[in-house]
This record gives sequence, C-alpha cells and structure tokens, in this order.
Amino acid sequence: MIDYIDKIKQISKQILTDCRVDMVIGFRQGTVPMMNEPCFAKTVDDVDAFVWDSHCGINLANYLTGRKEKIGIIAKGCDTRNIVTHIIENKIDRDRLYIIGVPCRGMVDRRKVNALCDSIYEVTEQGDTVKVTGENLDRQLARADLLQENCTTCVHPNPVIYDELVADEVEVHTDVDRWADVKKIEAMGSDEKWSYFDDLLKECIRCYACRNACPLCYCPTCFVDESKPQWMGKGQDETDVRTFHFLRAYHCAGRCTDCGACARACPVGIDMRVFTRKLEKDCFDLYGWEAGLTLDVRPPLDTYQADDPEEFIK
Amino acid sequence: MSEWKPKIVAFLCNWCSYGAADLAGVSRMEYPPHIRVIRIPCTGRMDPKFALAALREGADGVWVSG
Amino acid sequence: MAHMGVESERIHLSWVSSAESTKFVRVAKEVTEAVRALGPNRRFVKSQGPDRSLNDEKAA
Repeated sequence: MIDYIDKIKQISKQILTDCRVDMVIGFRQGTVPMMNEPCFAKTVDDVDAFVWDSHCGINLANYLTGRKEKIGIIAKGCDTRNIVTHIIENKIDRDRLYIIGVPCRGMVDRRKVNALCDSIYEVTEQGDTVKVTGENLDRQLARADLLQENCTTCVHPNPVIYDELVADEVEVHTDVDRWADVKKIEAMGSDEKWSYFDDLLKECIRCYACRNACPLCYCPTCFVDESKPQWMGKGQDETDVRTFHFLRAYHCAGRCTDCGACARACPVGIDMRVFTRKLEKDCFDLYGWEAGLTLDVRPPLDTYQADDPEEFIK
Repeated sequence: MSEWKPKIVAFLCNWCSYGAADLAGVSRMEYPPHIRVIRIPCTGRMDPKFALAALREGADGVWVSG
Repeated sequence: MAHMGVESERIHLSWVSSAESTKFVRVAKEVTEAVRALGPNRRFVKSQGPDRSLNDEKAA
C-alpha cells in the first residue's frame, strides 16, 4: 500500500500542473498516529504533504457533495462506489472529476491497535506487517489481523470508476461469507434482537459523527434537526437514539457501500454498520443490487420493475 | 381491567384504501373499531418516520395501505 | 424493523383499490387480529413516565 504514494503524488502534480483540476483531495499525516486527515492540495507544493498507508479509511467522496470546481480525488474501491452514487444523485458531475483510483488492500482498524497498549507512539508498515511502537511496546503484527471489519469481507476493493489507476488491481476475496454478521442477527428471535440493539446503542451520545462522516448523509437539514414537526427528541432517550440510527440506516438503503466511515468515526466505538448491513443484504437478495457499481442503472428504490418482489404486500 | 383494545394507526391512500374505507362505510359493512385512519395523498407520501412516530406515540400497530 | 426486534406482525402493508370495500374489511380484520395477538406495544414507545404499564392500566 505505502508504495502507491510516489505514483499518487506524480499523478496529482501532473493534473495540477496541466490545470486539469483546481485541487486534489487526498490524505496527509494526522496529528496522532493512525489518524490521517483529508488534505486539499491546490498547488503542486501542497501535494508533497500527501501520504498513503493503511490509515486512510475516511471516505473522501464525502467532500465532493455539491462542489463546483474541477476536482482530482484519490479514491479506494468504496470511495469510487460512493462517487458513482453521488453522480447518480446529481451531487457532482463526472466531467468535473479526475479520479485517481487506488486498489485497496483494506484499512487498519485503529481500535484493534489501540487495544494493545495505552499510548501508541508510532505505527509504521512494511508490506504485510505493521510495526507498532508505544508505551512498553514494540511489536510486529500481521496487517491482515488488524483490518476493519468491513474490509475483511470487502468484495470491491478495486475502483469501479477511474481516470487513472496507481497500481495493478488487487486480488478480490472470493472465499468469504459476506453476510455472516447479518445472518447472525437474522437468526435471533424478536426479543433477542431487541436487547442486542439495546446493548449496541447504550453508549451512543448522539454526536452525529457517523452522519457527518457518511458521504450519503448530505441532506441540508437532517430529520433529527427538523423542528416542524419535530420527529424525535434531542436527548439520549433510548427511543430517540434508536429512532435516529434506524432512520439514518433507512436513508442509506440501496446507497450504502459499507465503506465503514460511520463506524470508524464513532467516538464510543459503536458498529452501526449492523443497521445498514441488513438493508444492504436485502437489496442484494431482493433486487440483486449493490450500490455504486455502475452509472447506467438506476437504483432499485427509484425505479419500478414488473417483477419487483411483493410477497410482503397483502 | 377490561379487555385490552389495540390501537392501530392506518395510513390510507386518498385514492385507494381511503375510498375503500368510505365505500365500506356507505355499504354499512362492519369492521374492527381499533383503527385510526390517517389519510395521505398517496402511498408515495408515506415515510418510515411516520410509522416510527406512530409507534413512538404509543400505537400498537401500523397499517399502510395503497 | 423486524431486524431491529420490532415484531414484524405490527407493521402491515396492503394494496386495496377504492372499489374493494370487502377486501378493506378483510384486511382490517386481519391487521387487528395480528396486532391483538401480539399484545400491547412496548418497543419504540417514547416513555412518558417512570412506568408506562401503570399509565396503561389507569387509562383502561
């Protein structure tokens, strides 16, 4: 992964020099380890700050909504799928974009690393190993063991739409059960499900970091902020918390690419993907639909087909 | 305590089920009295948050009909 | 919603044309019976007091 950076910089500088784009969106080193932050490079010199490693999990498609400039964007598989969704939803023009596709080998879950010791000083990587240095800690770990949950079952690591690829496409998992996590919950009884989600959301502080990190959540006024009528309370009442997560997931039905940005952004470590995952699976099972794979087909929830499933209607 | 009566919120499309409900009334047909009808201009007006709002306010069931 | 633990029999969807009053009556009965079988809804209800079940009993 880290060897991509030279090529990324080279392409970015080239398109800025040629005035193909007004800026390039990429990542730069964050202030703490494993927290790379988005970087908007407007000049060739800005590009030198770019980095690429296993901590670039933020979905950069989030920064494209409604932009009018010409933009170069460095995009992983999931990012490109969200870019496709943005184009389909008229949030950005394809012509304005120069997509630098990055075949992705998965991103490291910083929580798994943070669990190793209290303070991490540095995390570096070399090929398939990650070297973690921290308080009384100096360890080499396998990258594969530290991946984000969504990356372990990802079947679209390669960009689906791009102007240029920085490396050859990576091998796609074929031996994983993509829906194992959803099936586990589906197998539960009604009461069990209820208490499972009770436990899951107990920690939620309603900071809306998941909403802000999500490229799909671009509504000018979110339903939680509406006051006429006010659909739900603003506090930490468990019904309100549940309503928020539930409706947010609903708004992502048929659009979510399981990029994991929401779970990654959560300060209390809730994996709210369990909500969106179910809808993702339903879309796949009912309509054979996976979000953001093509520009040519309208999503199932805004079209009608005579053979749409309707067994649930009386 | 008397027998428990369910509260059901029915979201009925103006042109379809609401008409059917009207016809049922005009024809003096009998149907359970536990249904509270909300007329919506079309089932397309329905939103998941309406169903949730109904449950949140204490409805025991939600029925959407187009 | 069933995925989140709300009983699936609480939520119903049907298509009834404006001429189908008999179907309307039939579905209305089915829905009522299905919900009655489940009993009072305790999930997704925004609590209005320390113990809602007490309020229900008073109301009844």
